[in-house]
Amino acid sequence: MLMSNSKIPDLHTTNGPCDGEPVREMHPEETFARLQAQTRRHFLRSLTAGVGTMFLGTLASQYGSSARAAELNLDGTRRLDFTRDPSRPLAALPPQFAARAKRIIYLHMAGAPSQLELFEYKPELTKLDGQDCPASFLLGKRFAFISGVPKLLGSQYPFHQAGKSGQWISDRLPHLEKHIDDLCIIKSMRTDQFNHAPAQLLVQTGNARLGYPSFGSWVIYGLGTENQNLPGFIVLLSGGKSPDGGKQLWGSGFLPSVYQGVQCRSHGEPVLYLQNPRGVSRSLRRSELDTIDKINQQTYAAFGNPETITRISQYEMAFRMQMDATDAMDIHKEPAAVLTNYGSKPGESSFANNCLVARRLAERGVRFIQLYHWGWDSHGSNAKEALNLGFADRCREVDQPIAALLADLKQRGMLEDTLVVWGGEFGRTSMRENRFGQVMQFVGRDHNPGAFTIWMAGGGIKPGTTYGETDAMGYEIVKDAVEIRDLHATMLYVLGFDYHKLNYSFQGLEQKLTSVKPARVVAEVLA
Amino acid sequence: MTFSLRQMSIRTRFGLLALAPLLLLVTLLLFLPPDGVERAEWAQFIGRFHLLSIHFPIALILLVPVLEIAGRIRRFPDLRASVDFLLALATFSAIVALTLGWCLARSGGYSGSLVTQHMWGGIFVAALSWLCWMLHGRFLGQRLDFIYAFGLVVAVGLVSWTGYRGGQLSQGENHLTEHMPTVLRAWLRLPQEDKGPTAAASTSFFTICVEPVFAGHCNSCHGPSKQRSRLRLDSYEAVMRGGKHGVIVKAGNPQGSELFHRVTLPAGDDKFMPAEGKRPLSADEVKLLELWIAAGASPSLAADAIKGAPTNAVSTVADVTFEEIDTAAVEKRRAPLASAVAQLQKRFPDVLEYESRGSADLVVNVSLMGAKFGDKDMAALKPLAEQIVVADFSDTAITDGSAAFIAVMKRLRVLRLMHTQVTDTTLHMLGDLNQLESLNVFGTAVTPGALQVAARWPKLQHLYTGETKIPADVQVSEAVRGKLVF
Repeated sequence: MLMSNSKIPDLHTTNGPCDGEPVREMHPEETFARLQAQTRRHFLRSLTAGVGTMFLGTLASQYGSSARAAELNLDGTRRLDFTRDPSRPLAALPPQFAARAKRIIYLHMAGAPSQLELFEYKPELTKLDGQDCPASFLLGKRFAFISGVPKLLGSQYPFHQAGKSGQWISDRLPHLEKHIDDLCIIKSMRTDQFNHAPAQLLVQTGNARLGYPSFGSWVIYGLGTENQNLPGFIVLLSGGKSPDGGKQLWGSGFLPSVYQGVQCRSHGEPVLYLQNPRGVSRSLRRSELDTIDKINQQTYAAFGNPETITRISQYEMAFRMQMDATDAMDIHKEPAAVLTNYGSKPGESSFANNCLVARRLAERGVRFIQLYHWGWDSHGSNAKEALNLGFADRCREVDQPIAALLADLKQRGMLEDTLVVWGGEFGRTSMRENRFGQVMQFVGRDHNPGAFTIWMAGGGIKPGTTYGETDAMGYEIVKDAVEIRDLHATMLYVLGFDYHKLNYSFQGLEQKLTSVKPARVVAEVLA
Repeated sequence: MTFSLRQMSIRTRFGLLALAPLLLLVTLLLFLPPDGVERAEWAQFIGRFHLLSIHFPIALILLVPVLEIAGRIRRFPDLRASVDFLLALATFSAIVALTLGWCLARSGGYSGSLVTQHMWGGIFVAALSWLCWMLHGRFLGQRLDFIYAFGLVVAVGLVSWTGYRGGQLSQGENHLTEHMPTVLRAWLRLPQEDKGPTAAASTSFFTICVEPVFAGHCNSCHGPSKQRSRLRLDSYEAVMRGGKHGVIVKAGNPQGSELFHRVTLPAGDDKFMPAEGKRPLSADEVKLLELWIAAGASPSLAADAIKGAPTNAVSTVADVTFEEIDTAAVEKRRAPLASAVAQLQKRFPDVLEYESRGSADLVVNVSLMGAKFGDKDMAALKPLAEQIVVADFSDTAITDGSAAFIAVMKRLRVLRLMHTQVTDTTLHMLGDLNQLESLNVFGTAVTPGALQVAARWPKLQHLYTGETKIPADVQVSEAVRGKLVF
């Protein structure tokens, strides 16, 4: 803290402007926040910079001033600047390098769909159906429910090769099959979490614990959004339940909360209480907001807390959303043929409606559209969770809408710059679940973090390819494992970012989506 | 007899002063030996000066016997008087060099017997130098005087040996004999250098199939710039020599070869190679290593001698790398149009942006303005026309009246005119956009007549013609076939 004395006004006496800042008085609270942002590392770095100044003379101008040091990452590379006009925190910023996609539609199948019933064709496993599972499968493994020695379970549905790419797919996704030459199927995804909530958090925030910004938050922090009348990060739920990870899945963590996802409803008002109450006109609402805005501006002038800015801009966005969001969400306006394609019924809360809304939001420049469809946790403990019953229903619910979404995006030329991702939070075991060591009434599989399948399509992704391979039982990865952080690094690359550079200083670390472990951009899946 | 600092000679005082850091160094070497782990860059940086500073004490120690002998010649009797000073200087400079050496060894990722020998050699040289200094002249004329001479001889021997070991560390194990002429080699009965296989090996299995695997996955840590665990994999000899854990290839026995073992461990194992999240070897690449070792790990075995070897196994997909943005260069490229860009950004918020932080090219998206953007607004884009590479005019009120303005955007790669009033007239005017890769006329009144112009776009990949007057079964020329999307 010592080296900053000259820059930071005394906590109790002066509130003078500090150099390089817009002329606004700095409140002690802000000073405190700044001091907190200075870490031992900054201090040490300034010290070394000081030594450099002594004997490098001319070079010192490059490293000497601490204002300059703030522009550098700890590894000495230049920081990307994500600061914006405080009144427009969601303003669009150009990506670090030319992007292959400018928006993401992420279809998260909450509960983890079975790869062995959809994309993983394993004839050997089918042959061994009903046999005791080998001891090596159980050694050192933890399961949510499997106990004792479970039986191997072959795929419940027939597989065939489809499209020009000849990729394998089961008979559960007949509509999606028509787009198989657009998909890049990654069969070697791996996670280290075997329960839904932490695994979903890992997939969506890069960390299995609470409190980290979600993927969408990072993206709109880095890129902003094109349409200032809609949130940049919109979340739509279906399937009857919220995902186990809860609202943290679209939370902004330590990023300013203006970057959090906005959950919208797919029927009725998109956001509850968005419309003015009866008797309140739009102009009355405007003058009310103007007054609130004045008070908030005063508060910001006094305290300098960025969350005040968030509050102001959220009020403003809600006002603009009253028109635009209602229009974007209103699928009544779609022609009947389109509704049929998606299998949409306006007024329902369904995945089909959400897919259609997703397309409408994408057209309106929303940066990150996140759909959750709950109900894929096929343990076999009841009919809804049975691979041969509930699972088939889930497939029916998503198959046609996803195919229609891909078709629409493709037809409108939007698949070129939209990245579509489909997947769950982990995979399912090659063994039949035997809860409490007993044969269960319905057929199901337990959680398998060791291998699962996702697919991507659209901007920057190599279409019609399969990447990675699991063993003959579909249980463990034998080739080209992709960690969640690798997937994240790859998706950020498609959006035009080096995953190291999309970072935010918090708790003395340059925090990033991929966290601290080294990640890899999977170059093999890039077009 | 009592010891007091005052009674001591200056030499004894300094001698004791030198003993302290010497003992400290011994302790450091015992408790914090070099362990092959790379540490702080600072220590490495300072440590590198070991190579520079070490020559000073070496020269001094070698000089002492020269002075002692020359001093006995009647012409130079004064020479021996400086021996005391020289030994003191040698001892202190040796301590400095040793400290630097420890920094380098501890932080530079060194380990193994070579560095251990070199290290203790250095310590003993410093200790001997100190001893000689203390003994010099002490037993002059007495029976014990031979100890000093003996110490000096040992010091010279040890300094030569330690220096040689140090040379092996930095220059390679055979740095002295590497270029020894064949005649001399024969005379000294040293093994002849094995140049044959490497020279003739350009068509060998090793060169064609194995070396590329090392080059793609291993040589960044085990190559010319870094030698983790003192292992290099950038030549046949280096591969066969192995590293600090010994030989890594046992010819004919893949399972027993450390090289094969390390790349086939379960991913996530601490010893798995390549380490630290680098791209693992593909199954085919592992197979190549296995076949090569099983066939005897030969440098000269012909590439086609091993049947069933996977072909094209080495991944052709390059790893993604990121380059720093040259901010100054970008600013320079942006400068000529910066004010025009700023003006336009002010007039139409959120529609104009640079393609990336490292680019001066522009992306225009007015689709969100809808009917508020029309032909009369197009003129505003004219000064920037040549910088625009992606333009989206979808859903706006533009008509064929805008075509002239679009036609001057010579560098357009992507053009979107979805749901606008444009017709074939516009398309016919855009024939010179030879960079065009994607054109979207979805939901316009464009007819099959407009398709002739598509042949003039050499880079065209997609022409989005859904919901136009072009039927899905339209007959098209070779140039457009397969590019229409309905």
